[in-house]
Amino acid sequence: MKFIVSSSQLLKQLQVLGGVINSSNTLPILDNFLFELNQNELKISASDLETTMSTSIEVESDSEGSVAISARLLLDTLKTFPNQPLTFKTEENNTVEISSSHGKYDMAYFDGNEFPKAVSIATPSKTVIPGEILATAISKTIFAAGNDDLRPVMSGVFFQFSTDSLTFVATDAHKLVKYSRTDVVANDTAEFIMPKKPLNLLKGILGGNESDVTIEYNDANAKFTFDNVVLVCRLIDGKYPNYEAVIPKENPNKLTVERGIFLNSVKRVSIFSSKTTHQIRLKMAGTELNISAEDIDYSNKAEERLVCEYQGDDMQIGFNSRFLTEMLSNLNSNEVLIEMSMPNRAGILTPIDGVEEGEFITMLVMPVMLNS
Amino acid sequence: MTEEYTYRKIIHVDMDAFYASVEQLDNPELRGKPLAVGGASERGVVSAASYEARKYGVRSAMSGVLARKKCPHLIFVKPRFERYKEISQKIRAIFFDYTDLVEPLSLDEAYLDVTENKKGNPSASLIAKEIRKRIADELHLNASAGISNSKFVAKIASDINKPNGQKTIPPEEVIDFLEALPIEKFFGIGRVTAAKMFNLGIFTGKDLKAKDEAFLTAHFKSSGAHYFNLVRGNYHSKVKPNRERKSVAAEHTFKTNLTSEIFMLEKLEQISEELERRLSKSKVSGKTITLKIKYSDFTTQTRSKTLPFFIKEKAVLLETVKELLFQEKVQNSVRLLGISVTNLNIHSKKKPEKPIDVQLKFEF
Repeated sequence: MKFIVSSSQLLKQLQVLGGVINSSNTLPILDNFLFELNQNELKISASDLETTMSTSIEVESDSEGSVAISARLLLDTLKTFPNQPLTFKTEENNTVEISSSHGKYDMAYFDGNEFPKAVSIATPSKTVIPGEILATAISKTIFAAGNDDLRPVMSGVFFQFSTDSLTFVATDAHKLVKYSRTDVVANDTAEFIMPKKPLNLLKGILGGNESDVTIEYNDANAKFTFDNVVLVCRLIDGKYPNYEAVIPKENPNKLTVERGIFLNSVKRVSIFSSKTTHQIRLKMAGTELNISAEDIDYSNKAEERLVCEYQGDDMQIGFNSRFLTEMLSNLNSNEVLIEMSMPNRAGILTPIDGVEEGEFITMLVMPVMLNS
Repeated sequence: MTEEYTYRKIIHVDMDAFYASVEQLDNPELRGKPLAVGGASERGVVSAASYEARKYGVRSAMSGVLARKKCPHLIFVKPRFERYKEISQKIRAIFFDYTDLVEPLSLDEAYLDVTENKKGNPSASLIAKEIRKRIADELHLNASAGISNSKFVAKIASDINKPNGQKTIPPEEVIDFLEALPIEKFFGIGRVTAAKMFNLGIFTGKDLKAKDEAFLTAHFKSSGAHYFNLVRGNYHSKVKPNRERKSVAAEHTFKTNLTSEIFMLEKLEQISEELERRLSKSKVSGKTITLKIKYSDFTTQTRSKTLPFFIKEKAVLLETVKELLFQEKVQNSVRLLGISVTNLNIHSKKKPEKPIDVQLKFEF
């Protein structure tokens, strides 16, 4: 097997695929990229058994073959080259020889048949989403997903497809984001939980991508296909919590503030908050929003006042400032509406402007109960 | 440690038919007549009965209707708590002449630790006698007393020669006394626990003593260890002059029994409001909310929930209570609803005084 490829074009593909490979693998073959050559088409794959991703590039060749080559060695070498054609050629002693304008490099390879095959999805359902929308849905939700191994369902993003909308939900039991689109729909209703890792990979490649993504799924696996990329991954098994039930229905206290100003205040005040709870206190009365924090251990204390629009009873409520910061940073609107009912009930954040037609974002954050 | 307690001298003073006696004292025409304080209204409950009324079987906490059935010529009077409080303070003033270690249990009961007393009198029995005499001379009321080396035994002893008597259980007799004591007389063992004990073949202190700690813990959970120590005379809670508040509660008995949850909710809202007022007056908040439901047949049910944080707001109280109410269908028509808050934040003050903030979670 022999092919000639542009070094920078190859590196670009390998860097994307490199994200799939775990830093330590029990199965040594998983430290490799799989190269499958079929005349002018070179398909490169990487896998961690849960997720397998492949891309195809055009090369100059008239041979066929399948080899697995060390990812580390290849990436480290390619990074150092200025763009130039590279010749890959398998030798008799189970090595691949790469020839560049600078010299020759030999590395051992495994037989491509040893590389685990990506699962094929039996009787899949299919939905097509514009790449940009999928990328937005992922980046709006993924930060809210949990890391708790005890509740694996909450470590992923819940995809809820129906014939009138697509909904994406993530929560770690403290905060929750629900992102819906009514301008993109599925042919059938379907629900599945996507793990974070493949979503982060997709988010990375899809940003600014205008092509459509075809999602095929059954109850165990999902496959994302777009451009020259195919990503197949195992879904998280289990039942997603009934998130609708925790969204408070009656929220008489409504606070409207300028997002940027509020975010800056929260960031500044939180510097003075307790290092363990990161708790800040919001006090609403009339048209004034008072934001304060205190770290009793170090006698640090801060207080700011903002003008806001507020309807409802005077109230005070505590939040973890890190959650608030994450959520506010993840919105793009100029103004944000925060709806609350009681100091022990979730606050609901929604953007007032800056959303597209058919785009809906709801963020929930559970308060910190104040004891003073 | 135990050595030190063996020499404690504790007096439990219990006023005889306190509210009724005060009424008889203030209204000479009531003297010698069967009298019940409270319970006059159709739905009322007797809060105290005079000894004349007790002969007919009238007891406190009995419904007014039943009391009248037992004693048709029973006289009902409205309670005047202000007056009882006033007298109670006079009684306490007498106690303070002997010791500062006075732990009031209610208006008419208190523990006194007279191990070291202001009169330098080594005999607790004589002090008790003197206190009772002073109460009789100065306030014209009768009191009974129990004297022993622990609060628990003193309390049981005060009942033995009631009314207008006293009983001393010296330390060396405590063990025998407890062994002979019927199980239902143990302070803290109520009707339900007593029935459970009977089923296990425990009828007296001696039977209780025959069981090992593991057995008792298995049957009575954390109380098991308490009973185990109790019957061995190893219960030595100190007399606490500043009795900490353990709970704040509010309740309401209805003119007509309620059958619909909708009406109950309305009442619970009023009770929550009252409770919020009481909590803010005492400047406390608590974690455990208990809903008390007394049915028309006088059986009482309690349902409680402990929150991860302290609350005092009416809205949160009501919300929790609502949840408790709907947790299980009410079995019968309801005559009384009550809400109490325990696990108060004053107790956690023993730890360094630092606010405990709790990050709440979604209830998935």
